[in-house]
Amino acid sequence: MRFNIPIGPQHPALKEPISLRMTVEGEVIRDADLRLGYNHRGLEKLAEQKTWVQNIYLTERICGICSHSHTTCYVQGVEKLMEIVPPKRGLYIRTLVAELERIHSHLLWLGVAGHEAGFDSFFMYTWRDREVVMDLLEMISGNRVHYAINTLGGVRRDLDEGQIKKILDGLVVLKERSVYYARIGTTEPSFVARLAGVGYLSKEKAMALCAVGPTTRASGVARDVRKDDPYAAYEDTSFEVATADTCDVLGRTVVRIKELLSSYQISEFLVRNLPAGDIAVRAPKRAKPNEVLSRYEAPRGENTHYIKSNGSDKPERLKVRAPTLANYAATIEMLKNGFIADIPLIFAAIDPCVCCAERTVELVNGRTGEEKTVRFAELRALAAERHKQLSTKRNAVWPL
Amino acid sequence: MTDQELVDKLKSLLGEKIVEISNPSLRRVFFTVAPGNLTASAAVLSKDLGIWYIATISGVDVGDGYELLYHFGPDTGSLTMRTKIPKENPHIESLCPSFPGAILYERELQDMFGIAVDHIPDPRPLIVPDDWPAGNFPLRKDWTFERPEEIIPGGKK
Repeated sequence: MRFNIPIGPQHPALKEPISLRMTVEGEVIRDADLRLGYNHRGLEKLAEQKTWVQNIYLTERICGICSHSHTTCYVQGVEKLMEIVPPKRGLYIRTLVAELERIHSHLLWLGVAGHEAGFDSFFMYTWRDREVVMDLLEMISGNRVHYAINTLGGVRRDLDEGQIKKILDGLVVLKERSVYYARIGTTEPSFVARLAGVGYLSKEKAMALCAVGPTTRASGVARDVRKDDPYAAYEDTSFEVATADTCDVLGRTVVRIKELLSSYQISEFLVRNLPAGDIAVRAPKRAKPNEVLSRYEAPRGENTHYIKSNGSDKPERLKVRAPTLANYAATIEMLKNGFIADIPLIFAAIDPCVCCAERTVELVNGRTGEEKTVRFAELRALAAERHKQLSTKRNAVWPL
Repeated sequence: MTDQELVDKLKSLLGEKIVEISNPSLRRVFFTVAPGNLTASAAVLSKDLGIWYIATISGVDVGDGYELLYHFGPDTGSLTMRTKIPKENPHIESLCPSFPGAILYERELQDMFGIAVDHIPDPRPLIVPDDWPAGNFPLRKDWTFERPEEIIPGGKK
């Protein structure tokens, strides 16, 4: 006998608003369906009404974890449209912030994976160490989340000697800790037993469903925009594309730990070889009519922006494809024939960022299945009405 | 494969299906096909060129029609296939037989532009709510958003 269970948009196991509808047979998931749109913000339409500079800060707000990835992707596209080339020092600082962001995002993910697997000490350790890199980002940009370091033609803040020394010191600590996590994550028997074989995604399926980032690299596809289509300062750096061939959550963990280690290497190189000179060039207000496709390897996978200009100070069209959207089709494949208890782990393993993938409030009547979009005012009226009917403490009829 | 090799290969494989082809910058190739040749061209890309990755589909309202840009990802960078369809009764054939990963982007296209995708395996709305008023397609240039007047019950006048 088959049952349908809805998980989300509000559910203790998934921290972001997405609705997964599972068809289960006993404990085994036979089919899964996704419903998006709970967090849609109409950002692509809004971008058409804002100027080139305003849009930097708009794209920054697409995501709270990989905010730098969206601005960099947008900014380097607009720089091509405006025909300006940022100075080398600006590009190095931009890339450095990108790598530090990858470090904080992957450490965050390791913690979430540990938590979903029931290994909470791992979660606390990684999140404690994540503070080191968060402090570095705050020192460089002035902010912990939305760094706002990018501008058209370069970056907004420079690095001094003292900051460089602090970054190098921080990287030493992080590197030492990550080597320890690499050992724990791949050898600790109970942790490995929980992750191995869960959420299987074959190489053929990963390619057919166009998965991106660590999800596809863990299925043995060596694809990384930083290597295939180098942008910013990646042409100068040397690193290896991390892959795994186990095609499961364990593989995705291994890939992310390997990427952490290569990010330390890249960051150290960038800081030690920081070229002298300006950090930004002046950008014009308008861009000639043209179009550009910009790509960026975000911590979650490939980020794509298509930007079209019409000669004015506003874009004609800005299309954003965040990596999480590309991984949804693959997630459904991973969930099939898995167990209910594995849902949070499998879903967390793509490192989902729902706010990235969606750019209205919807209520589902639990009894009739009817769905309805409501405004905040209506919701308040409903709450007030319900509150009036509730029996207060004094006149309540207690069941016992 | 360099950009020039890719351009030459496309020209020899697709022949006169290509209306226009350009290579505006390093690792970026754009080419235009007629809407009728879209699926045939996509099949060539997937079978003969071994391209398996589609990054996304961008729709653009260009005034006298809709321009659709299919961004593929060969190993060498990015390849974009462009086509243009008229505004009256806009519809396009699905690319899912060649690129199963295109499904989410085609559903997004239907929601945002109202372009009917023929033979799509799953035509349900993806982003817009189920009770979204029919005929509202937000990314069309003639669609503007009007914020409904908020009424606070028993509150401010």
